[in-house]
Amino acid sequence: MRALYRYSLALLPVPALWFALLAEPGWRLELPWLFFGGLWAMDELRHSVLLLTALLWTVAGVFAAGYMKERHLCRFWVFWVLTLTGNLGLTVSADVASFYSFFALMTFAGYGLVVHEGTDEANRAGRVYLAMAVVGEMAILSGLLMAAQLADSGLLADLPAAIADADRRWLIMLLLLSGFGVKAGLPLLHFWLPLAHPVAPTPASAVLSGAMIKAGLLGWLVTLPFGEVSLPDWGNGLVILGAVGSLGGAALGLCQQHPKAVLAYSSISQMGLITLMVGAALANAEAAAPLFAVMSLYVVHHGLAKGSLFLSTAMALPASRAGQRLMWLLIALPGLSLAGLPFTSGAASKLAMKELLKPDRFDFALAAYLPVLMSAGAVATMLLVWRFLWVQRAGASTGNNHPFLWLGWGLATAASVALFWLLPWHADVPQKAWLSAMVQDAWNLFWPILVATLLAAVALRLVKQR
Amino acid sequence: MTSSALLPVAALMTSLMASVIIFALPEKNYRLRTLINLAAAILKLTLVVVMVWGVMQGREYEAAFTMVPGVEFVLRADALAMLFAGLSALLWLLTTIYAVGYLENSPNRSRFFGFFSLCVASTMGIALAGNLFTFFLFYEMLTLSTYPLVVHRGTPKALRAGRTYIIYTLTGGAVLLLAIAWLHGLVGDLRFQEGGHFADLAPSLEGPVTMIFVLLITGLGVKAALVPLHGWLPQAMVAPAPVSALLHAVAVVKAGAFGIIRVVFELYGLEATSDLGLLMGLAAVAAFTIIYGSTRALFQVDLKRRLAFSTISQVSYIVLGLCLFGPVGAAGGLVHLVHQGIMKITLFFCAGNYAETLGVHCIDELDGAGKRMPATSMAFTLGAFGMIGAPPLAGFITKWTMGTGALAVGMDWVVAVLVASSLLNAAYFLPILHRLWFAPQSRPWPEERRWGRLETSSWLFWPPMVTVVLTVLFGVFAALPFSPLSWVELIVLREVAL
Repeated sequence: MRALYRYSLALLPVPALWFALLAEPGWRLELPWLFFGGLWAMDELRHSVLLLTALLWTVAGVFAAGYMKERHLCRFWVFWVLTLTGNLGLTVSADVASFYSFFALMTFAGYGLVVHEGTDEANRAGRVYLAMAVVGEMAILSGLLMAAQLADSGLLADLPAAIADADRRWLIMLLLLSGFGVKAGLPLLHFWLPLAHPVAPTPASAVLSGAMIKAGLLGWLVTLPFGEVSLPDWGNGLVILGAVGSLGGAALGLCQQHPKAVLAYSSISQMGLITLMVGAALANAEAAAPLFAVMSLYVVHHGLAKGSLFLSTAMALPASRAGQRLMWLLIALPGLSLAGLPFTSGAASKLAMKELLKPDRFDFALAAYLPVLMSAGAVATMLLVWRFLWVQRAGASTGNNHPFLWLGWGLATAASVALFWLLPWHADVPQKAWLSAMVQDAWNLFWPILVATLLAAVALRLVKQR
Repeated sequence: MTSSALLPVAALMTSLMASVIIFALPEKNYRLRTLINLAAAILKLTLVVVMVWGVMQGREYEAAFTMVPGVEFVLRADALAMLFAGLSALLWLLTTIYAVGYLENSPNRSRFFGFFSLCVASTMGIALAGNLFTFFLFYEMLTLSTYPLVVHRGTPKALRAGRTYIIYTLTGGAVLLLAIAWLHGLVGDLRFQEGGHFADLAPSLEGPVTMIFVLLITGLGVKAALVPLHGWLPQAMVAPAPVSALLHAVAVVKAGAFGIIRVVFELYGLEATSDLGLLMGLAAVAAFTIIYGSTRALFQVDLKRRLAFSTISQVSYIVLGLCLFGPVGAAGGLVHLVHQGIMKITLFFCAGNYAETLGVHCIDELDGAGKRMPATSMAFTLGAFGMIGAPPLAGFITKWTMGTGALAVGMDWVVAVLVASSLLNAAYFLPILHRLWFAPQSRPWPEERRWGRLETSSWLFWPPMVTVVLTVLFGVFAALPFSPLSWVELIVLREVAL
């Protein structure tokens, strides 16, 4: 029975993964008996998020099968399954009630993952998580209620147009932006995140930071009035928030002692970069559709890389020198990918993002700063990766890993490094000839990494001298 | 007597007869008493189901006779009556099962079940009453039949609670009687009718009619526990768990709320109430009660007491829903009559299970109870989430419907009240859930009892399982016919032709 709980962790998300690989955007399922009338459907955006979610939960499940101890295994299993159900369900929900139900299920069941270890630290983190999550849920509920009432419809697809025409557009948008922003780690709504993501058991941290954080983003993308109106003020506001998130998150992350805490701040930082795109898409209605494609790509890239990084924190190093070197390389690769190393998933995402965020395409005040912010973000990311590797090395131990740990981490790393290129991408991602473009842009991609590495080397030297 | 008159009378008589027979049975005749109890409960549920079906087809069931000239006794099964009757018949069956297990081997069971049946008969009468006079008869009968249940244990604390209860409710009854008599003198005997009577009221009557409304609501508000008339309810918690469950879910507080529904919808009419400027006042009282009850609940350490204050808050959702001048808001309020009933009865069943099985009464003794009693704790968890209004449970349907209704008529502050109440609900329920599932058991259970295979006696085990499944089904399948939401939409369609 125990073994069944343990190994089913790995198998439960497989049907969803299978479905994500087979189903085409355009799939829909009407469930008139559900709530006020349910509709589950898939478009390009949801397809990408579902792929990432199912993939990451699968590899994290494999990892968990090796990682989890016997104590409270059954309880962990229940909360894992509930959170998984919520996270998968919300990606295919096209009606408000289903979406909100799955979102709430994921939020509340996620508490069980956060406090699982039962330490004082975990309970404290759980309290902050729950308090902020409940407030967030209420903001989401109020926003959805107002939008759905105006739209006179229970379908998510009808909300953006209704919000765009609403008298109190600012209020509805503020509610939805902040409600989902709690999950997405928007600055000032992020306090729970660096507490909760690190204290959870490692596989749970991976899905929290890799997949569940994206549910907040998805919430924004399916409800806010993208493509309906151009809202330069909101664009400015979000670009500021994104900048604060990406640079501030990195700055705070550099001060962390614990590898998982560094990674949690890195997630805030990465979500900050995505927030730049969200802001740009709100500011210019025409840019929304192509930006959605890039955000989908970025979501898959960041989710897989971050998942792999989180899982690596629980891996013990092999005894042999060569083995250690190889291991460090594999641990560092997803990190380098976050920083946009050429020929990684990060490079693809960064190039696509750069292509679309050219200032001349936008006319809101802060658009001119977008390229600078992106470059600064890349430097900050790489610095954080160095910090992560530094603290990870300080705490690393040698020894054997459970085979399922190897398998889970290996799959996650392989997915981030290789499988990413084989996944079906959003059809609207610009520039199909990725690899050749990367050769041309190699220097543009490479210099932030170089700068960050120099800075890290200087910092290291200073630390050693003291 | 035709069958259309027979059915409502039969539904009422089933529990009345059961009560008489049980009083007559000797105390030790345990099996026969249980058999009669269950048979009556099942029979009544069947009768109600038949009537629900009939009402759905548009049939009317009515029995009426003149008591004294000008005063009629009317039993009538309309859609609104069936909402309350259905809830009461279903929960009576479950509570009877529960009570049989709960009171096993305790003294005075014959007295208990006799009054228990009488109490349910009163509830049925309240549901089926076709005019204010009939309503009042059963309303007072309910007061008198619940008093012995509240003081059943006979402890000084119980007697004190009983005294408070009887003072509050009899005073409320007196105020209600005054209002009814005044109204009778003014306009004669009025039957409840869809759309109400006062749509075009003579201006000279407006003053007295307004006064009468205030008196009616005051009289009914005592049982519905509207602040500041709620003082009896937290004290009545000393009653045995099945009584609390019944009191909070169907019998007493719902009788008050149901009375308010009848008065607003079928006596005055929604439009007239609104024109007289009465709805806003009532809405303010209800909103205040919602927040007040939740805030007080936050500070209770006794589980049942916390649930009691939660009831004060939740019942006012029903009243607030009525005040949202429109069909959607009204549907949200009405549907909460059923939703609050099944969710709250689940929570009380569970609280009773903790008390009977582990001897746990206080919230801080619940640490680790989830491991010892997983099924009960699961039911409690879902009930609590329902109260918070988390989807996909029944409470969410209420909140969503009420919120939509409020926004549709521009009463946006109601959404703020709902949100504030949900936050407070989360604040007083979630810590309990944390204790159940995540806190390690720190000391032995105060008074543990074991019953073989299940975590508790099977009489106590199954009722909360049924109600918690309903809590989920009523939420997830809200759109299906015969769900509470569909039923109240049918009612609202007939009541509020706006």
